[in-house]
Amino acid sequence: MEYYLILARSVTYAQRMQRTLGRTGIRSQIFRAPRDLTDLGCAYAVRVAVNDLSKALIALHRESLDPIQVFLFQSGAYREVGA
Amino acid sequence: MIYLDSAATTFQKPRTVASAMQEALMTMSSPGRGGHPAAMRAAETAFQCRSELAELFGLENPEQVVFTSNATHGLNIAIKSLVPPGGRVVVSGYEHNAVTRPLTALGARIAVAEAPLFDSDAVTAAFDRLIVPGTSAVVCNYVSNVFGFIQPVEQIAAICRARRVPFIIDASQSAGVLPLDMKRLGAAFAAMPGHKGLYGPQGTGVLLCGDGGTARPLLEGGTGSLSIQQEMPDFLPDRLEAGTHNMPGIAGLLAGVRYVRQRGLRDICDRERRLALLAAEGLRTLPGVQVFALPGLRDQAGVLSVVPKNRDVEAVGDALAEQGIAVRTGLHCAPLAHRSAGTLDTGTIRLSFSDFNTPEEVYRTLTVLRDLLG
Repeated sequence: MEYYLILARSVTYAQRMQRTLGRTGIRSQIFRAPRDLTDLGCAYAVRVAVNDLSKALIALHRESLDPIQVFLFQSGAYREVGA
Repeated sequence: MIYLDSAATTFQKPRTVASAMQEALMTMSSPGRGGHPAAMRAAETAFQCRSELAELFGLENPEQVVFTSNATHGLNIAIKSLVPPGGRVVVSGYEHNAVTRPLTALGARIAVAEAPLFDSDAVTAAFDRLIVPGTSAVVCNYVSNVFGFIQPVEQIAAICRARRVPFIIDASQSAGVLPLDMKRLGAAFAAMPGHKGLYGPQGTGVLLCGDGGTARPLLEGGTGSLSIQQEMPDFLPDRLEAGTHNMPGIAGLLAGVRYVRQRGLRDICDRERRLALLAAEGLRTLPGVQVFALPGLRDQAGVLSVVPKNRDVEAVGDALAEQGIAVRTGLHCAPLAHRSAGTLDTGTIRLSFSDFNTPEEVYRTLTVLRDLLG
């Protein structure tokens, strides 16, 4: 199963991201970011389907909610794909 | 009990407040402190509460709503973020100790915009004179906690915007009663309690953060974010919310805010003002009672102060309490307001109303006061 994790700077920002994506018709879930994905310490991330990433990033940018980092989960591992 | 002390704390709350608090106790832990259901339920409630408050007070984003433990807490953050030690600050003549004590502790040079009670034009003119280059901040309450005087915050905000001076609004008595649009006013901060006109529980408060203000935390500690970093996060609300949240309080506050939004500010304000006007008209008929209200209760919310001649206000308050009527007496933590109105020596008896009071309660209070003071 493949998906993207969009890293947020706090739970409140992750919630705003989820609400923004919902308004755009994109389904998402909030998760604690896996510890080895970030050197920030505790963080939250929003998970979206692979096909939704471009649309999601555009919607988030419009609301000044640019992610800290974005990761692709593929073949059981995360790979950073940009910010 | 007839409760007429809502300017201190609204005692009668919507039933939904207690049930929301109980549910929070039983189902929620702490927002931002985990990904498990109890933490996420807490996060959802906190976010919802921020969002609804942001909508109510004209803020663009929910993170601009910071939870505090009361209005005093929020005012301390706002003042200590903007006023350097020894800085010059302009305040109205009707401020609470929650404003004047932090300013005194900072050694601020306080300029008081002195004006007669219920004279909005004079208040505006006084601020206009005193807001000069070098002013660190302006602080003003929207409604005086002693006299219910509705101060001209829109006009003061316009002066502050024009002169680029940050404006802090003490919305303690206005929140849940009068409209306040942060974006339109361009205020730096507005502080309010959750436990008065928003009908939340004691121990809750809110600091609304406008654009451009750099907030300085009063407390440093865990936020559930950027945990590696030893400095507080530079983003809201985390920057100002160290430590575990008061989730039962926030859940109760959300229920209170929903009640206010459902009832509507105008209806609540009209009801409280009608009751205050009824009380003022009745009290005017009592001999030797000075009533602080203009005809028609112009420029006044549902807070009313009176002074009986030759009677100690505390003794009258005690006698009312014995008859099951709760009012507030004394200086109401606002000696500056009493100095401005000339009641510093006597203090006042304050009757303050909520959406849960009735005309029958006012009639009963007038009957008891007639016996006590007649």
